[in-house]
Amino acid sequence: MNTDRRRINAPSGGTSAPIFSRTVKESGYLQSLRPSRIRAPHELRNIYLRTGIIPSASGSAYLEIPLPTPSSPTTSLIPPRSSLKLSCSIQGPKPLPRSAPFSPSLLLTATVKFAPFASRNRRGYIRDSVERDIGVHLETALRGVLIGERWPKSGVEVIVTVIEGDEDGWWGDAVMGVHGGTNGSGWGLLNVLAGCITVSSAAIADAGIDCVDMVSGGVAAMVRNPHATGREEKEKLVKVLDPCPSEHQDIVAACAVGYLAARDEITEVWMKGDIGFSQEELVDGATHAALGSLSVLKEVLLESVEAKFKGEGS
Amino acid sequence: MASTKTATSTPALSFPRPIFAAISPHPFLQAHLSAPGANKGFRANARSAQEFRTPGIKTGTLTHCHGSAVVRLGNTSVVCGVRGEILRVEDVQDLPAVAATDGVVGGIDGVGAQEDEEEDEEEDEGELEGLRLLVPNLELNTGSAPSNIPGSAPSAAAQTLITRIRSLLLSTRLIRAKDLRIAFTPLPLNTNDPDNPPDTESQPVPEVKAYWTLYLDILFISLDGSAFDAAWLAILAALKDTVLPKASWDEDVEMVLCSDKFSDAERLRLRGLPVASTFAVFEGRGDDLKDVDMDEDGDKGPDWVLSDPDAFEEGVCREGVCIVLDCSDRRKKARGQIRRIEKSGGGVVDRDVMKDLVTRSFERWAVCERVLRGVGEATV
Repeated sequence: MNTDRRRINAPSGGTSAPIFSRTVKESGYLQSLRPSRIRAPHELRNIYLRTGIIPSASGSAYLEIPLPTPSSPTTSLIPPRSSLKLSCSIQGPKPLPRSAPFSPSLLLTATVKFAPFASRNRRGYIRDSVERDIGVHLETALRGVLIGERWPKSGVEVIVTVIEGDEDGWWGDAVMGVHGGTNGSGWGLLNVLAGCITVSSAAIADAGIDCVDMVSGGVAAMVRNPHATGREEKEKLVKVLDPCPSEHQDIVAACAVGYLAARDEITEVWMKGDIGFSQEELVDGATHAALGSLSVLKEVLLESVEAKFKGEGS
Repeated sequence: MASTKTATSTPALSFPRPIFAAISPHPFLQAHLSAPGANKGFRANARSAQEFRTPGIKTGTLTHCHGSAVVRLGNTSVVCGVRGEILRVEDVQDLPAVAATDGVVGGIDGVGAQEDEEEDEEEDEGELEGLRLLVPNLELNTGSAPSNIPGSAPSAAAQTLITRIRSLLLSTRLIRAKDLRIAFTPLPLNTNDPDNPPDTESQPVPEVKAYWTLYLDILFISLDGSAFDAAWLAILAALKDTVLPKASWDEDVEMVLCSDKFSDAERLRLRGLPVASTFAVFEGRGDDLKDVDMDEDGDKGPDWVLSDPDAFEEGVCREGVCIVLDCSDRRKKARGQIRRIEKSGGGVVDRDVMKDLVTRSFERWAVCERVLRGVGEATV
């Protein structure tokens, strides 16, 4: 175990997450905890969005996709799924340091960091490759949106903190060793990316940085129906918008986009899985999901602008 | 009012407030504090010198934590998550001596017994500290303030902050080592035999098989002064909210297994309720604003001790005081106990001022206690 002199380290022997006895000893119990999708295939989860949460930053926003309220009071301590909680802070535009080479347009830096408590297994404080990867994707999604020529010799930092992120699959599958023990193949990251795009878009608007349009993120996936009976039925793929990976047993392919609705342009596509011939359908689905988050985004920004003007008037 | 004051000293120039604050922060704050009339003694953030910001607390927001809290203190907002993981005793390389003594075993016997004074006095810091069962960590670099940009290692300030928090956690003995022990009592061999009742000599001795390790992760969403107060309050609230599943050693599989039932889980109990209050000393300079830069050691103006300073005030103050108080112990006759006093820089705070600050901290404690009271009282 590596030690970090600048932080407080865990016991050197290493610790392990608690294992629950009923999930190990009772064979049927684990399956009974599996969540399932109750939304219609095209129905999105509710989004809560707020701007201006960090007064010292030039722009900031908070996005949350809360957990559905359980129909019956839960008796288990194990959360069936994860919610999505993102906070975004914009620092800048501010002048580049003197040592930096000349840049005719705004230099964008996007950073995504998961909090240690963002996922079911505790994460570390040092940035890992997954976080770098998703940061690059976010940067791609945003770079085409900003009108960078208006800020020569300046830089802007977009910092997204993932307080809680969507999971890559149902945790029970990892316990049972399905999918070779790995928890799917990063499906949850697509949701996190889409959320990052939407929340940074709101924060950029809050910071008042000029953009060609408002970008928003959306995810669509192709899933197999686990309850199908016939062989043909089993092979049939269903397109779902805004998939929550823990709710789907068998995701075949998924796609996240950054979408400019008014110009009908896509700034970022991230596809995963066995796509086959359905890629256009997937991108279509993801843009539809992005339209859904855009409507929330617009409403929230309008409200915050109204509040700002009212505050100035009084 | 601040801008009018500048206008009188330099009639040709009048700045809007934010610019005045940015170019000459010290006179800006002094102009506010010494403004004549009804506004006298108010700071730039419209609080009086003695006024704290009222904390807002929300608990249980994080899905993957055993306890969590979001604390807002004006524009400072902090998230704290407590996560318990299991440390097996066999993984510990150098078991502190204290874990092997009888004191530990006696502590386990007390499980379920009434909480009494003796148990409360049990010495267990060695166990907590030696095994590193409490792992607090803190992240400031989330864009929480313009200087806190991610990608850099924890700054000196962040490292100092977390070290102070850790030492306070251990010195206040907030958590009982007993609550973190996972013990196993082997079944007596001949319980079913009515002829040979098990004698006290061969009574099975509970054995500590594992410990809960608590990871306390503090994330600053927004930082506007009094980072220590906010972080400590977040830790308190999150620990009060913490519910650890019932863990037991399973002989068959030789590992620790937990029960996932809500009804089996136990809420963490805390010893006392220490609350931190931070103060900053604002040293007034000579009365005349014009020669501010010159009379560094000339005639001094009045000084103010500001409660719960924000980021702007922290920037202009050199001297700081932090007092940690606990008034929750009703058995003692005293009004409360001072758990820690930290003071740095400057020499304005003397004995009399310190007495006054302690009084202010008492009032602060009552406010925080009221806010924290609702936390963790819901039945498990």
